[in-house]
Amino acid sequence: MSPVPLLAAITADDLLQTGFSGVALGCKYALIALGFSIIFKATGVINFAQGAFVLIGAYFTYSFTQTWELNFYLSVVLAMAAGAVLGVAIEALVLRRLVNEAPVTVIMVTIGILFILDNVVTAIWGPDNRNLGDPWGVSTRELLGVTVADRDMWTMASTGLVLAAFYVFFRFSTLGLAMRAAAVDPEAAMAQGIPARRVYRVSWAIAGMVAALAGTTLAAGSGQLSPATGALALVAFPAMILGGLDSPLGAVVGGIIIGLVQQYTALLAPEYFDWVGESFERVSPYLVMIIILLIRPFGLYGTQEVRRV
Amino acid sequence: MAAIAHAFRAGGPNRDLVLSYAEDVKLLRSPRRSPWRWVFVVACAALFWLLPTYFVGDPGLRILAMCGIFAIGAIGLNLLTGFTGQVSLGHAFFVGAGAYTAAYFGGQRGWSMPAYLLLAALIGFVVGGVIGPFALRLRGNYLVIVTLGLVFLGQHLWSNWDSVTGGGAGISLGAAPMSIGPLDFKEGIELGGEAYSFEQSFFWLVWGLVALGALLAKNLVRSRPGRAMQAIRDRDLSAEVIGVSLARYKVGAFAWSSAYAAVAGALYGLLQQYVSPVEFGLFLAITYLAMIIIGGLGTIFGSVLGALFVWGGRSVIEQNSGQAIFDPLITTGSGEAGIFTIGEFNAVLFGLAIVLFLLFEPRGLAAFWLRIKSWFLTWPFSY
Amino acid sequence: MKRHPWFRPLILLTAFALAAGACGGRDDDDDGAAGDEEGELATVPGFDGTTIRLGVITPTSGPVAVIGNPLTAGNEAYWEYVNEELGGVAGQYPVELVIEDSAYDPPTAVQKYNQIKGDVVMFNQLLGTPIVNAVLEQLNADDIVAQPATLDAFWVREQNLLPIGAPYQIQAINGLDWYVNEGGGEGQTICTLRQDDPYGEAGQEGVDFAAEQLGIELGPEVTFPVGNPDFTSQISQLQGADCQAVWLTAVPSDTGTALGKAAELGYAPQWLAQSPTWVTALGESPLAPYLQENYLWVSEGPEYGDESAPGMSELVRIQETYAPDQEPDIYFNFGYVESKAVHQLLEQAVENGDLSHEGIIEAMNAIDAFEYEGLLGDYGWGAPEDRDPPRANSVFRPNPDKPIGLELVVQEHEAPFAAEFEFGG
Repeated sequence: MSPVPLLAAITADDLLQTGFSGVALGCKYALIALGFSIIFKATGVINFAQGAFVLIGAYFTYSFTQTWELNFYLSVVLAMAAGAVLGVAIEALVLRRLVNEAPVTVIMVTIGILFILDNVVTAIWGPDNRNLGDPWGVSTRELLGVTVADRDMWTMASTGLVLAAFYVFFRFSTLGLAMRAAAVDPEAAMAQGIPARRVYRVSWAIAGMVAALAGTTLAAGSGQLSPATGALALVAFPAMILGGLDSPLGAVVGGIIIGLVQQYTALLAPEYFDWVGESFERVSPYLVMIIILLIRPFGLYGTQEVRRV
Repeated sequence: MAAIAHAFRAGGPNRDLVLSYAEDVKLLRSPRRSPWRWVFVVACAALFWLLPTYFVGDPGLRILAMCGIFAIGAIGLNLLTGFTGQVSLGHAFFVGAGAYTAAYFGGQRGWSMPAYLLLAALIGFVVGGVIGPFALRLRGNYLVIVTLGLVFLGQHLWSNWDSVTGGGAGISLGAAPMSIGPLDFKEGIELGGEAYSFEQSFFWLVWGLVALGALLAKNLVRSRPGRAMQAIRDRDLSAEVIGVSLARYKVGAFAWSSAYAAVAGALYGLLQQYVSPVEFGLFLAITYLAMIIIGGLGTIFGSVLGALFVWGGRSVIEQNSGQAIFDPLITTGSGEAGIFTIGEFNAVLFGLAIVLFLLFEPRGLAAFWLRIKSWFLTWPFSY
Repeated sequence: MKRHPWFRPLILLTAFALAAGACGGRDDDDDGAAGDEEGELATVPGFDGTTIRLGVITPTSGPVAVIGNPLTAGNEAYWEYVNEELGGVAGQYPVELVIEDSAYDPPTAVQKYNQIKGDVVMFNQLLGTPIVNAVLEQLNADDIVAQPATLDAFWVREQNLLPIGAPYQIQAINGLDWYVNEGGGEGQTICTLRQDDPYGEAGQEGVDFAAEQLGIELGPEVTFPVGNPDFTSQISQLQGADCQAVWLTAVPSDTGTALGKAAELGYAPQWLAQSPTWVTALGESPLAPYLQENYLWVSEGPEYGDESAPGMSELVRIQETYAPDQEPDIYFNFGYVESKAVHQLLEQAVENGDLSHEGIIEAMNAIDAFEYEGLLGDYGWGAPEDRDPPRANSVFRPNPDKPIGLELVVQEHEAPFAAEFEFGG
């Protein structure tokens, strides 16, 4: 005997609520994708280990907050610093030596690092679920007729801040300019006196910082912090790709698009498209990504590749 | 010493002198011309026969059979990634397609083994051909992630197409017949009065297919399509300019590599006797990529070596992490001293092995082997 | 440009080769025929005349290790008690566990199974429905018995499996029946929120059966994938259909995320949850007040530490003696009970004088019932078609002052029609 099928009671309120949650979720993905994109922009490497950075950042925040009992916001800042150190360490120890190798080889090395870091995290902190200890909990407020979680507000604010910071950094600061130059042509940049090594190091440090922030937002609230949290970084891949691999703005826009797509699919698919199977929202980001790539093969904001014979 | 060796060589031109193009691309020249290659072939044949019969027990044979299955898939992936330059993380999807083909047509419908194996190859070929055109539009990293999406789409498909794949609960291959003519591989074949176990028979089946697949691939590579593929890998714009049809060879590469993957998947299903969607995910895709990168991109030999190294190495790690020297690091339960559980320790060692190996030898085992070989060949001028 | 000497990678390979060499090749074990000798048990795979070896294939790494580790600890504590205080099975044969990591990955589990099957008498623990499904073929082919550490109804009729406890379907049946008749749920709209896999389907099966028997119409059945990051649409669907009570089939992390989102959206139905949804950390999270108001947990047996059940006082004592660092944990308890069942089976096999794989199966069919002294309902046994799982469940409510964070609401409630549920497997 089957239960009553879902009533067609999807109201405008539902749509608005879902839209908001989609944006909030998308900002989480955006923060992860930002970490990917900054490394790619500076060094041309896709860092598969970014998910591990996110996880470690979240666990650092947890440790500082719960074990050392520091103020939560201070913990987040400290975790970001720790993430930066981790990024630099990985770069100096491993990636430095693989500068001229085939990209596929470098990707494989980052995957190896991912395995190592994931399991070291579980070994140190254990596989149990933990509470992050953030002050936002499950508190909410009303905004434009929509219930908004405090945690989501902070996530969106952070994403906007980081994006703005990136923009200012890349456009106006010397180091940002140096990074853009080194990404285009490392040798020419070095000829101009730009220290390519420092540039790479800084980009990995920034990626580590952003990852810590992303991890904190992912684990905050009632969702428990556990080693499985790192698996969400996989969904950031479509976000990064459809926005364009080397564009931070693309990463954010891509993340938000993916978040919205996922939430609306989860809401509407069981009602209108149940032939696609259950949990279609898990694959809908990839479908959207494929469609967009067919139209714009370098993503929405990615730089078109110029090929010479 | 080189002088002595030289004196013993038969008179005539240098061993490697070729006088015609046909000779240049020959796989196996006469024993006098390429003695070491013949030694290799004979040694392989000997190992093929002797290992299961005398030296290795059933559990070890199972691991080696799995290595062989991975080798078949890896050869396919190397054709696509190493020779044509299309990096693809989607191999797991085609492996799954092959496995479910075997499960459905073999297990559910009772087709004979040659039939469903061939069908698996065919289905892999066709599906790969359908996916191929994506590579015409997308390049580099974008292609990588799109093929990754293919893996997830595949998992969604396997989980939801209940009537064919059994859905999330998986499907058993217990009923699939595994015989070629009079040889029944499931019960164990009987040759010359001796009865062999399932593991032994399956080992022979798998590695026989590895040899066949390697031969086919090697033949493909040294011929015209192979040269076209390598041209595309090196500089596809130039290749197009000189008249290599990108569409034909890129799509063809996808099709062939998927056919290999599907056969590997079918054999995998037969070995495990059960498949479920969760097995054909990101981890499998990454494992295949690791195998060809560690083995050596652009070499057939490297694919096999990579499969042996990655899967065999992983098994070796798992079997040996119980040794006493690792005890301080290992904990077996909550509340005991030690840092890692066995599973975590194995995973860390695996990751460490990948990273360290690629740091020392980024071009893989095949390149490493070439280095050794050239050291000996150029002796005493080996610096 | 630095040149790499060729022997650098060689050093690495040599290291690996040495490691490989250190491990001896595994000999081919043939299943030795168990000849019955007078007064002495014949040695068989897994039994060398003195020690009995049992296999455990569980995730000790990966996200499911949070269940696998305490389960294994429960197994180990029980056998330590048996070895130390009783001298082993039948007072003579100590038991040793062979633990392998499955990483919750079916092919790895199958590989590990094949590796150790020649070395053990039976398997004390196989964790996870997909793992059990994958290994079941081999179990049947090799005639080996295993204990699945999951409560699916499929296992009841399998010859080679030794399940314990009332399956998920029964939990749903009893939980729903109690709620509608005694828990204040009369006339309410009841819906389900479940995982989109066989585990979720198991819970749904029970809910459907109960609803049919009770003559009530259910609300929507909402599904989600494991690890779903945001439950807004699912909660919206439930809210939109005015569900006043929701049956939940999920794992602990998803429970936290889902109920957290419900709390945020101001949705507070009565949550009735399957046993794997709870973990102690939930009771200590910011969600605790919401849970205390709205969450009920369905499982079996008495409250932790309740001395009136002899099995429970023994469990507490054994835990404190042999696993003093272990916090009270529902999975530890489950592992403990698993080993208790295996103990009874081994006693029977030793009595029959045959510890071989076939002998274990014979012993299994000869047992009338597995008894758990109040920890879980006794399991009527016999041949597979005669097996009768326990048909009663207990309901709990979160309470931070209690050991596992749960306090008993009603013990061993059995729906009148629970006995009619057919286990076809």
